[in-house]
Amino acid sequence: MILTLATQSLREAIRKKIPHILIALGTIILAISPLISTTNEQDALPKIMLILFFQVVVLLCMIGIILFSAISLPHDIENKTVFSVLSKPVSKFKLVAGKTLGFALLAAFILIVLSLVNIIFVFFASAHLPPEHRGIFKARKEFNAQHFHIQGKIHHQKEGIHWIMGGGEGAAIWNFSRLHEKAKNIPPFEAELRLKFDSSRDTTETILLSIAIEGIQSKENKTEVFSAKADETLTISINPEIIKKNNDIKITVFPTLDTDYIGTAQNNIKVFSIQKGFIFNYAKALAITFLKFLLIIAIAVMGSAYLSALVSILSAFAVFLCGHLLDFIKDFSLLLHHSGTHEHALPGMIKKPNIFMIYMDYLCKKPLEWISFILPDFKKFDGLTYLLKGINIPIETIGFSAGYTLIYVTLCTLISCIILKKREFL
Amino acid sequence: MNSLAVKTEGLTKVYNDFWKRKSVSALTNLNLEIKHGEIFGLLGPNGSGKTTTVKLLLGFLHPTSGKSWLLGKPSGHIKTKYKIGFLPEESYLYKFLNAEEILDFYGKLFNLSRKERKERIDKLIQIVGLNPYRKRLLSKYSKGMLRRIGLAQAIINDPELIILDEPTSGLDPLGRREIKELIREFNKQGKTILLCSHLLSDVQSICNRIAILNKGILQVAGKVNELLSRSDITEFLVKNLSDKDQESVKVFIQGKNGEVISMHPHLSTLEELFVNIIQQHK
Repeated sequence: MILTLATQSLREAIRKKIPHILIALGTIILAISPLISTTNEQDALPKIMLILFFQVVVLLCMIGIILFSAISLPHDIENKTVFSVLSKPVSKFKLVAGKTLGFALLAAFILIVLSLVNIIFVFFASAHLPPEHRGIFKARKEFNAQHFHIQGKIHHQKEGIHWIMGGGEGAAIWNFSRLHEKAKNIPPFEAELRLKFDSSRDTTETILLSIAIEGIQSKENKTEVFSAKADETLTISINPEIIKKNNDIKITVFPTLDTDYIGTAQNNIKVFSIQKGFIFNYAKALAITFLKFLLIIAIAVMGSAYLSALVSILSAFAVFLCGHLLDFIKDFSLLLHHSGTHEHALPGMIKKPNIFMIYMDYLCKKPLEWISFILPDFKKFDGLTYLLKGINIPIETIGFSAGYTLIYVTLCTLISCIILKKREFL
Repeated sequence: MNSLAVKTEGLTKVYNDFWKRKSVSALTNLNLEIKHGEIFGLLGPNGSGKTTTVKLLLGFLHPTSGKSWLLGKPSGHIKTKYKIGFLPEESYLYKFLNAEEILDFYGKLFNLSRKERKERIDKLIQIVGLNPYRKRLLSKYSKGMLRRIGLAQAIINDPELIILDEPTSGLDPLGRREIKELIREFNKQGKTILLCSHLLSDVQSICNRIAILNKGILQVAGKVNELLSRSDITEFLVKNLSDKDQESVKVFIQGKNGEVISMHPHLSTLEELFVNIIQQHK
């Protein structure tokens, strides 16, 4: 019966041409993406297509779905078509669940169609790219450091960041274990370093880093010096022979010159096994996006159980915006309290925050922290970052998003049922 | 209670305003019993509480006090709804569907199998006379056609109890007659019918028992014949009597201390005349 009600909602949307409009608009936006590609990077266009899909097109579809799902039930109540349904053996739970499932099916249908268009466009845009610029087609598996420590002298420590001076005074060491289970078919591995740099030299554009990669089991060691740019991720390949012989590795890093400093923490270095699987990764990102849709649909349906169509739309949008605003406020707060910069940094790097902004942050942060316990946090539904970095979306991330959505949808559905049971249909 | 299809006990509904202050008393202390197999008419002017009673019976409204039962179960009981058919006062249907689709949708809500649905849809569309328009969207239906498809959806589940709120509103005399005949036919099949209407002639012609509501208060309830009959007045319907013989009868009655109130040729109803003319031209 829930499926009957769901297909009815879906059919209503189709007859009202809602998917037609959203798919047409989404396709137009994706089609004009070459016109808004502003950077000269070779892989800019496929990346912009992904960004446009997951941020602009998805937002557009979400607005459409919110409008439809927030209007549907109040419309049924105002038109009194709900009488013909509730006079049948349909419980309030089935009505709510049917509506929610119907809108979810609609969202899934629109997302699948538009994502197929997006994938075709992305493949078409990247057909002529050289292999080194096809990073987004990777689905790298991420490994975090199991253990991190400083060997030698720590220059100073601030907010969890260990600063070490170059010239061999100290070195940061990260240990990675269980990089592969089987010795056969071992994929290539690479390491990504995002360290904080500082220098007493006049320029800190680039510093020299000595990086040693050592196999724990074979004790095989390879040290190289790399030139690293500030605010840029340094990616280095790991010798396949080391990985082949060792399941666990150790990465040691220190600034080569004694005028340079690096700020280090446990998650500054990540190791990736390079695997293909863009489509599967894309599907996972799409699944996370769908869960986001499901969440906002449940909220819109819950609002529509006791509010008029207009108020229901506004409340759903308010929740949607707050869900994103919370994240913005948190980022904003982090920015203001950012103090990882070392004393030796150039004066230009130290920005004095505006006192008004600090008060604003103080006033907003606490109430929003409380609200964040009630409102959904949409930052948990980010698949795009993984796709752009070519990182395989861990199954745990999907599991977490699914669990979060399930809890939220269950609560919203229960609240909707209670409201509808209390509600009278005049 | 099992012998009763509908029962209410002190059913009261007061509408409150936003501040929970008593605003309108829509129904006051309604005690009603409808037996299985009856055609029961609920009469009253607009705003008398008929639709409120129906909404309370179906669980769309919560009573301020009192209780009600349908087919032996408290109102709003989900499983009972498998045996109930309801036609609202206006046909509130999804206008983006056609006749077949809407009946199929409601049939699915009763968990009818595909085969059952197909059979019933064909039969019902035939019964309500919408066969030529079965593929037409309801948004393009006239008010009368919507009433007919509304009636079809009310009986898609072959219900034991049919609640009809103003079933003949918006219909032409021919349509009204057909609907009344259908109601009689349902009754012959053993179904109980609760009919709400302010069209007195409709109710009088088909109901076994009636109740009259006014301003939410039950004024009278009973069998139609009992309520309408007067023991001190007798009516004869006589055919083929000459004027002279009619005069003799009048004299005879007066001789027996009877008072002849009126003697006039029998008038058929306007509805009968209309239906005869239309049917002759068919």
